Amino acid sequence: MENLLDQSSLFLQQLVNGITLGGVYALIAVGYTMVYGVIQLINFAHGEIYMLGAFLAYTMVTVLGIPFFAAFILTILVCACFGIILDFVAYRPLRNAPRLAALITAIGMSIFLQNLAMMIWGSQIKSYPRDMFPAIFLKPALSIGEVSMTWIQVFILSITVVCMIILHLIIHKTKIGTAMRAISQDKTTSALMGIGVNRVISFTFAIGSAMGGMAGVLVGLYYNAIFPTMGYIAGIKAFAAAVLGGIGSVPGAMLGGGVLGIAEVMGAGYISSEYRDGISYAVMIAVILFKPSGLIGRQIGEKV
Amino acid sequence: MRKLGCFLFAWILLTGAAWADSIKIPIAAPFTGPLASFGEGMKNGALLKGEEINAAGGINGKNVDIVLEDELCDPKEAATVATKLANDPKVSVVVGHLCSSSTLAALPIYRGAKLPAISPASTNVSIGKMSPYYFRNVYRDDFQGLFLAKYVKIVKGYKKVAIFYEVNDYSMGLMLAFMKEAKKLGIKVLGTEAYTADTTDFKPQLTKFKMMKPDAIFIPGYAPQGTLIISQARSLGMKNVAFFGADGLDDDLMVKNPDTEGLFVTTPFLPDKAGPQAAGFVKAYRKKFGKDPNWFAANTYDAVGIGAQAIKAVGRNREKIRDYLASINSKDRAYDGVAGKTYFDKNGDCLKEAYVKKIKNGKWVSAEKQLQ
Repeated sequence: MENLLDQSSLFLQQLVNGITLGGVYALIAVGYTMVYGVIQLINFAHGEIYMLGAFLAYTMVTVLGIPFFAAFILTILVCACFGIILDFVAYRPLRNAPRLAALITAIGMSIFLQNLAMMIWGSQIKSYPRDMFPAIFLKPALSIGEVSMTWIQVFILSITVVCMIILHLIIHKTKIGTAMRAISQDKTTSALMGIGVNRVISFTFAIGSAMGGMAGVLVGLYYNAIFPTMGYIAGIKAFAAAVLGGIGSVPGAMLGGGVLGIAEVMGAGYISSEYRDGISYAVMIAVILFKPSGLIGRQIGEKV
Repeated sequence: MRKLGCFLFAWILLTGAAWADSIKIPIAAPFTGPLASFGEGMKNGALLKGEEINAAGGINGKNVDIVLEDELCDPKEAATVATKLANDPKVSVVVGHLCSSSTLAALPIYRGAKLPAISPASTNVSIGKMSPYYFRNVYRDDFQGLFLAKYVKIVKGYKKVAIFYEVNDYSMGLMLAFMKEAKKLGIKVLGTEAYTADTTDFKPQLTKFKMMKPDAIFIPGYAPQGTLIISQARSLGMKNVAFFGADGLDDDLMVKNPDTEGLFVTTPFLPDKAGPQAAGFVKAYRKKFGKDPNWFAANTYDAVGIGAQAIKAVGRNREKIRDYLASINSKDRAYDGVAGKTYFDKNGDCLKEAYVKKIKNGKWVSAEKQLQ
């Protein structure tokens, strides 16, 4: 009996771990999926925005002495600006070039930003100092038997959910959201209808990057480790989550993030921790094989 | 004009140094990347020894030139560095590598080029038998694992242990050695879990450990992940579980984390336990670098010393240096270094003391109870 109880609390604890990880993946995945939805570009530098977010908050708190929540909000704003600059410098000049050219630029930007961060902050793993964030974050918010959920996990999940709702409202209820959807259907016609295409694309980058930066800070808090190459793995995972959910779809990114996070944690917990990443990618491959458009993605015929 | 004069003078000095035939001793280790702080110990130890040799007139009148080769503790990079060194006719002995996986990647290349190498830090068991050109002045993991199991049982009295290892040669070798001895001593190993070097989320595996209720968790990995594992375990509510590890956790990164209080690790060198010959080294090291030498520094200091002694005795022929190193094979022929006496067995391995240090009040200190 006790064994059964242990098993079920183990399962529940792993589920909590998995959903939190999934929330982080979802926040990053949104950035990929929005940019892809609007200009069909896989922005590989998005993982680096996430990394910059983690480091910016670290620097603001430790060097400039800004209180944590102020630094959190500032980081989100600065990351949004980074997104706009990234688009302006790297992608806008190539707007009408073949898609492959922009993709290569994206990879170039990713490598550039990674190395820039290494030059500024060094290559070693850094930890958020313990007095940097409110102590309550590490305390359990609720604990039933052996299962516990810390405030930071609650914080990550609620931020993810709130962001997704706001994002959904922006896309479906506002003028700029309508413009984004119009551009995703046809850029040229949208421009002819009087939509400021570049302005809308900048806005898309800003929103996506803001969420990426936010995810960076949250991960820094949760795992207490930030390093210049952290964006690479997280970026690949989040990209997988976006594809899994159906790239271009915001609810898809959220669902994909959740599925990937839970698959990864359950794989590590029940199958083999050595093949943890392998298991999560295998889930992605399986979904793509049987449902190429992703879990919620719509099947759209080739545009002629 | 004066500036130009200075510049010319410096230029003549620099190129002059290059013209004079100096003896190159390359140090292959990670100097950047996550394990850079380990490499720093090796770098400092080597530079100090090089300086002392040159101050004492060099090797047979020629200056020693310590060259740093960064391989990031990445086996692929290590193979590249090894190829470069093997093809450099000026290199007659290598000091390196640090990580066992790097050493294993570089080993066949050195063997092919008949280039002798001394590792001050790679402890994986299989290295010695694989090449007659590889020597090391550090103990092996089978000894370290055995030592740790004994220490845990005899000094600490733990009965149930879980192991959290990294997927690499060092960590897995250490785990196997520990498990073998644990079985003999009656320590129960409740379970083993793995992680890869790029992981930052250890909670799924730790959650499993939590349910097993171990007395202690053994982390046979490296410090960057070790510090995260301990913090994440504490945040999952594992307050009373003890943590211990091997020399891979012996790093200042660990003491920066308040959760690591009480952690203990094995180490080949402790400044206050080392013999009288170490006193001068510790003093010079403190003066030059402003901190205590760690075991990487002490062992590398000795490894450069052994290499220099070989060149002094037989010249710069690679084969002859190998034969000379192989002849240091008994206690009375041993190299008497700052980290104890070094002499090699037929595999090029050596037997040395292990010590235990622990974190107390946020500082590394020698454990009160050693196992001798």
